[in-house]
Formats: sequence, structure tokens, C-alpha cells
Amino acid sequence: MKKWFVPLLSLMAALVLFMTFSLFFDQNIPEMPELEKPIQIIMKSRERKPMDFWEVATRGIVEAAREYGLDYEISGPHFEKEIDLQIEIVNKVIEQRPPLILLAATDYKRLVPSVERASELGVPVITFDSAVDSTIPVAFVATDNIEAGEKAGREMKRLMARHDRKEIAIVSHIKETATAIDREAGVRNALEGETIIGTWFIDVEQEKAYRTTLELLKNVNLGGIVALNEAAALGVGDAIAEKGAEETVLVVGFDNATQELAYLEAGVIDALVVQRPYNMGYMSVKSAAEFLLGNTIPSFIDTGSILITRENMFSREYQELLFPVQNIGHPE
Amino acid sequence: MRSLISFGTLGSRIYITFTVMIFATIFIMQLVAFRFTLNTVRNSTLETNQAMLGQLTRQIDSYIQGMEKIASAVLENSELQRLLEDDGLEGDRRAVETMLAHYIQARDDISEILIFPPGGSVISSDPDLAINPWTDYTRRSWYVNALAARGKTVVSGSYVQNLVKGQYSWVVSLSRQINTRHRPSTPGVLLVDLKFNRIQELCQSMVIGKKGYNFVIDEQGNYVFHPTQQLVYSDLKSEPIDRIINLLGDSERMTYSDGERYFMVDTSPLTGWHMVSVLRSDDIITEWRNVQAGYAIIGLALFLIVGIATNTVTLGITKPIRQLQKTMKSVDTGEFQLVGRIRATDEIQELAREYDIMVTRIRELMQENIREQELKRKSDLKALQAQINPHFLYNTLDSIIWMGEMQQHSAVVLMTSALARLFRISISKGRELISIKDEIDHVQSYLTIEEMRYRNKFDYVIDVDPSLYEFEILKITLQPLVENAIYHGIKEIDEKGRIRIRGRKEDETIVFTVEDNGIGMAPEKLRLLNSALKHPFMEQGRHARGGMGVGIRNVHARLRLYFGENFGISCTSRQGEGTTITIVFPSRKGESAV
Repeated sequence: MKKWFVPLLSLMAALVLFMTFSLFFDQNIPEMPELEKPIQIIMKSRERKPMDFWEVATRGIVEAAREYGLDYEISGPHFEKEIDLQIEIVNKVIEQRPPLILLAATDYKRLVPSVERASELGVPVITFDSAVDSTIPVAFVATDNIEAGEKAGREMKRLMARHDRKEIAIVSHIKETATAIDREAGVRNALEGETIIGTWFIDVEQEKAYRTTLELLKNVNLGGIVALNEAAALGVGDAIAEKGAEETVLVVGFDNATQELAYLEAGVIDALVVQRPYNMGYMSVKSAAEFLLGNTIPSFIDTGSILITRENMFSREYQELLFPVQNIGHPE
Repeated sequence: MRSLISFGTLGSRIYITFTVMIFATIFIMQLVAFRFTLNTVRNSTLETNQAMLGQLTRQIDSYIQGMEKIASAVLENSELQRLLEDDGLEGDRRAVETMLAHYIQARDDISEILIFPPGGSVISSDPDLAINPWTDYTRRSWYVNALAARGKTVVSGSYVQNLVKGQYSWVVSLSRQINTRHRPSTPGVLLVDLKFNRIQELCQSMVIGKKGYNFVIDEQGNYVFHPTQQLVYSDLKSEPIDRIINLLGDSERMTYSDGERYFMVDTSPLTGWHMVSVLRSDDIITEWRNVQAGYAIIGLALFLIVGIATNTVTLGITKPIRQLQKTMKSVDTGEFQLVGRIRATDEIQELAREYDIMVTRIRELMQENIREQELKRKSDLKALQAQINPHFLYNTLDSIIWMGEMQQHSAVVLMTSALARLFRISISKGRELISIKDEIDHVQSYLTIEEMRYRNKFDYVIDVDPSLYEFEILKITLQPLVENAIYHGIKEIDEKGRIRIRGRKEDETIVFTVEDNGIGMAPEKLRLLNSALKHPFMEQGRHARGGMGVGIRNVHARLRLYFGENFGISCTSRQGEGTTITIVFPSRKGESAV
């Protein structure tokens, strides 16, 4: 009898045993590959206002990470305008060589070198909410902002049909951000044929939007304002409420801050285009997980937007979107 | 190692049979055990889950019941009663407000308690509370349903309450119609808003597994609570609500499974809500891969142990047999080895002992055989040397008679004494080896007789160094050669023959040559003779034709028998010139040499 026979045969047997067990009981659950390090999620803003966009996005992130059993770490600047800080954070994170980076870029152009560095080190990048001016990221998970802009524009056009003042102003939050550029383009697409008197930038400051609107309201022909983000919509709303211009100036805004919704209910704002931050967070992590599993993912994932009016704001379907339930604990 | 696995040997046969059988046994047992474990764990998990779901339902019910009691308590408040009947005193409203404020303070899970009296203004805990001017509460479902329920408490689903200006809070509402005596046609409504968080927390706390969750649907199938409601509403997730509701009517089954998830449902009798608990199947055996690996490792360990045991047993059987076999193989090469004592089972030991007895017996038989062979050889030897031609004796005696008749007395004496010496030496007390001196004497006697018989037909020279006399020689070695030289050599020629016998010592051998100048041998004849000399013990019939060489071959055979392969006779001859025969044998000195 050969000495090697025993261990060899036994090993073979054990292998057969193991394989058969796998065969019988593998339940086809996507098993995350063991990652040495957590994936890195870099947010645009870490400001925590109740029912904040990023807060809700984080809930989606938490849920998807739980479903996929994915480890993650979240970082990012406190305020959206701290671009330098975000670049610094991203660069630091890249050097840790995480298995993947999820990035919501604060600047379309200035984060490109960081993304290129990540690519050099072989760290895949998925952008969400806001893209960078590069083809390196494997996917971009965001609201289709052109489409969202078109939704706002179409609603404005519909409202304007019954309105006697015809001039429309656009109040945009910031000049060089992809979201602002896309939304404005969408709005302008949909308002083809209407009178757009111009675009005003407010540098993501509600106060500036308020002052800008006060100026705009001096124009007696102004019939509508499209406010491209939360700060803009709030500033515009503040000014209109103050001046009692609810009837004369129609407002279509973006996002769903509580005050915006109050304005919507009160008739100060006539429609809001709302993103799905929860879905965005969820889909970002989901696509990251799918990518790490080796599945192909589309290069652009639209998380969708919803047009909210006074009529549907309390509908069962949208109330959770508009008024996120608080107190769902997440590990932060 | 003829092939990878040889089925031929006893060992491999035993081993493979055992291995396959044991493997099958372990495999089946493990499979059964693994399945059993899986089922047990799943069932117990599902049972636990069922229990937890029941508990969740009870907790939510008791929570709501508690709130109902608060509602009743509020309604039974005497100040409120007076206020509602419109005969309230000054300060009653304040007292009611204070009472409501107390309840809200005491229970931080109550969002708001509001009383909508018939016709009157809303009573709340806060007198400054501003009702949202943009909403018409009389059209909200909690209001409509309360009136429809006629005094029974109505529990709403979860929704965003926008009654208070600037506040949007998630609540579950309890509402009840308030009937007053003085205005029976327009009843009021009591509204208790419960913060939804509390119910949400309950639902989220009672979850099994990392990925499990609970959700709640109302009787219409609308979600009261779902942890990922947004995903559900945006179709990123879906729950098989129809299947789940079907479970309610089915007392046989407690779970519905879509393969990945297990759904269980329990209905609250109080609210009519269906509590659904969802369990991910990969959470049931959380570390099922580890369990599987564990089973595989146990299997491997068992298998190794059994494998080694089998190997040991197999070796215990086959090793002694191998040993036995190896010893037995020695028979092939002619050595008869004994097995001796070996470590083995009784049967094998017995076998070995019997084998040893057999081999010992064979050895004895072989010894006996060798002895007998030797004896036979010796008797052959005697027979060979005894072959003194009877013709010779007859002729000699004839010659003696003839010489007697011729009155040649001295010749008669000479010949008779030579004959006597000849016979004395040939007998030589039965010894095989005699001294060379005696042998020379013997051949001398023979030559004397033959010389007398063939008068002057030949003469001879014996040229042997006397120093050789003491050495031993096989007796009657030279005489047959001389006889051969005379009868087959010299007799055939006309001129006078000459025989020359020479003896010398060469190293450890003694070499004699017998040379004649007779007729010699034809090359063909010489070849035949030499080949006959190579096989001295072969049947001699064919070569013996004409008597030629019989003497030579006999001598050669005897030398070979006695001294071995390296010694004997060689022969050279030329036709018409004569023959030389050379004898080689080892030089030995014996006691006989006197």
C-alpha cells in the first residue's frame, strides 16, 4: 500500500464532500467578496439639518450597505462650498487604497486630478449626485438633472398658460456645478418659446436669493421664477411671502426642505421638483456592491425626480419622500 | 507500482473496499445531519420569529390600547364635559388645556391631543396653537372615519399630520366622535396623534437576523410602516402582499417563502393591521458556510482517522504476507531461506511455521540427493577405471603361454611379473589417488608387456622428474592414453613407433603429455574427439565408433569428476605425424606417497 494513498484519497473525498455540500445548499445569495478595507463614501456636505438631503441619502446608503453586507466609511466637508477641504479629504482617502470610492463631487472640474490619481492607484470611483469632468468614474448615480429641469420647465409653462405676466427668471444656486448647469438647460429646453429674462446666481446662499428676488419683483412683468435648488427656492419664497406676491409671481422650485413644503402648501411656491436622495444613496451603494461583485453596471443610473404640487404633496406615495420619518437610527 | 491504483493486491482491495464503504457512510450521514441541522435551525428560527411577531402585535396593540384609555380619560374629564355641553364655567377651558398639556408632557410619544368641539374652536394643550390655514381637517380621513364610527375609536394608518401650521409630523391618529346632548346633530371629534417613531421603533427592534425586517400594512394593503418605504414606492423593492395576505386564511402554513425571504404575518385585532415579518434565508443559518465547512472538516477528520486505521489493519495483514512472499521467492534463486519468527496474526504465523518445516525438509532431501549423486559418481569412477581391456589380459596371457611353449623362461617371468605389478597397482588397496611414482610404475609395466608382445614395434621414453614422484595422481590415468597411442597410432604405421611420456609441474598444476608418432587423426576425427571432451558425461555411443578415444574420454571424465571443470585432457594431432595428449590436474601431495 502506498503511503501517499491515504491522505490523497481522504483529501479527494473531503473535496467531494465539500463540493457536494456547496452544490446542495448554495442558495445563490450574492456573497460579498471579503474586502480588507471598507469602501469610502465622500459626501458633498455633512451638515445635519433635519430632513436634509444628505441625511436621507445616508439612510439609503446604510440600507443598501446592510443588504449587501458592505463595510463603508463616510467622510466629507461640513459645507458644500468647502471644495478645497473635500479635495484634501478625497486625496487622503485615495492613499489608503480603499476597494472603491463613492464620491459626490463639490466641483465639476477641480476634483478631476484626484479622480485621476485614484485611477492610477487602481481604485475604482463611482460618482453620485454630482459628477466630475472625467470619463474615469465607472458609473454616475444621480438624478437626471436635465430631465428634472425639464419637469420644472414644463410645469412652469403649464402654469404660465393661464397667467398674464409672461417674463420668467431663473435663480440658480451656483455657476460651475453640474447640477445647476443641467437643470438650467432642462428648464430652458422646456420653456422654449417663453420669455426668459435671465439667470441669477446666488452662490448657494438663501439670503442672496432673497435679495435677488426682491430686486426681481420690481419688474412688473415678472410672472414666474424657477429656483434651481433649495437655497434658491427658500430665498425666493421668503421674498415672495414677504411681498405678498403669491398670486402675481409663480414659483417652481427644487428640493423639499420643510419650509419649501410649507410654502408649497401656502401657495407661495407652486410646484417643486424633488429628487430621491434615499434612492440615490441606496443605488450608489448598490452599484458599488454590484461592481465589486464583478457585475457590469450602467455608466449612468438615474434615480429619478418627482414633480410635487399642492395636490399630491400628502399622497401616500410621496409623503415619505417629502417628509422623511426621523429617528431612523443610522450608525453615525 | 504498475499503475496508479492496483486492484490486484490484497492490500489495495481491502483498502479500496473499506474506503469506499466508509466514505459512503460518512457522506450520507453528514448529508442527513447537515440537512437536519439546517431544518432544525430554520424551524426554530421561524418559531422564534413567529413568537416575536406575536409579541410585536401585542405590544403595538397594548400601546394603542393605552392611548385609547388616555383618550377615554380625556373625554371623561368633568371640565371638558361641561365645556362640551356649553355650560362651562370660566376657567374650564384653561383647566382642560392644562390637563392636555400634562398628558403630552407625561407621554413624550404623544404628538398632539386636539379636541374639535361641535361648533367651537379647537382645544389644544397650547392656547396659542395655530391651525394650518391651508388645510381642511373635516375632509381628512381621521375626521371622516371618526364620525362614521359613531363613538368608537378609529385608528388611522401612518401619515404626515399638517394640522399645525409649519409642522409636519409623522403620526398615527386615534380619533373618536364626541356626542353632546345639546347639539346631537353636529358631533365633535377627539384626536390623539401618536408619534409614529414609537411604532417604528417597535417594528425595528423586533427583528431577527442582520437583514431581517418587519413591515406593517393596513386592511386595505397600504403600508403603515416599511423600513424602506421609498424603495417600495419607487419600485426598487416589492413585497408579495397578496401571498402574505393569503397566509392569513391558511391555518396549515405559517410562512410564505419566495426562496430568498420568509414572510410571516400576524393581524392585530385592535387596529386590523397586518404585521409582516421578513426573514432572509441567509440570516437563518447566518454562517451556513461555516457550518458547511465544519461538516466538511469533521468528515475529513473522520475519514483520515478511518483511513489511517484501515491502512494499519491492511498493513498488518499484508506486510507479513509480503515478508513471507519475499522469503519464498528465495527458492527461485536456489537459496532456501527460513522465515523464522514474524510479527503477524496467528494464521500467518502458522503458515510461516509450516513453510519453514517444509523448507527444512526440502533442504534435507537436497543434501541427501547430493550425497547420493556423489556416491553414484564414485561408483561410476570405479566402473570406469576397472575397464581394462579383457582382450589385453587375454592377449597377454596368450603371449605368456606362447613364450612358455617356446621355453623363453626369462621372458615369461618378466611379462608375468609386469602383469602382476600392473594389477597390484590398479587395485592399490581401493584408493583413488596414488603417487605419481606408482602410476609411472603402472604404465611402465604396461609398456613392458606391450613392448614384449609387439617386438621392437616401438620404443618409449618416460621423462618425469623424480621430484614429482611424491605428488598424487588419479590412478590409471596414463595407461589408457598409452594404450590408445599404441592401438590407434603406432600399430597403423610401418616404421618404428615412439612413445614419449613427459611430466612436469606448472605452478599449482601437474601436466603430463603422452606423445606418439603414429598415424594421427584426421581433422574431422580430432574435431569430434575434442567436442566429445567438452561434454565428458554425454552418452558416448556415437563417438565411440571404432573404439577410438574411448580410453581418452574415460580418463577425461574421471579427471573432471574428481578435480572439476578446469582440469582434464586436451588433444592435438596431425594426420600422418602423430598425436599429443596433454593431461592437467592439480598438484597435491598425499600421505600415500611413500
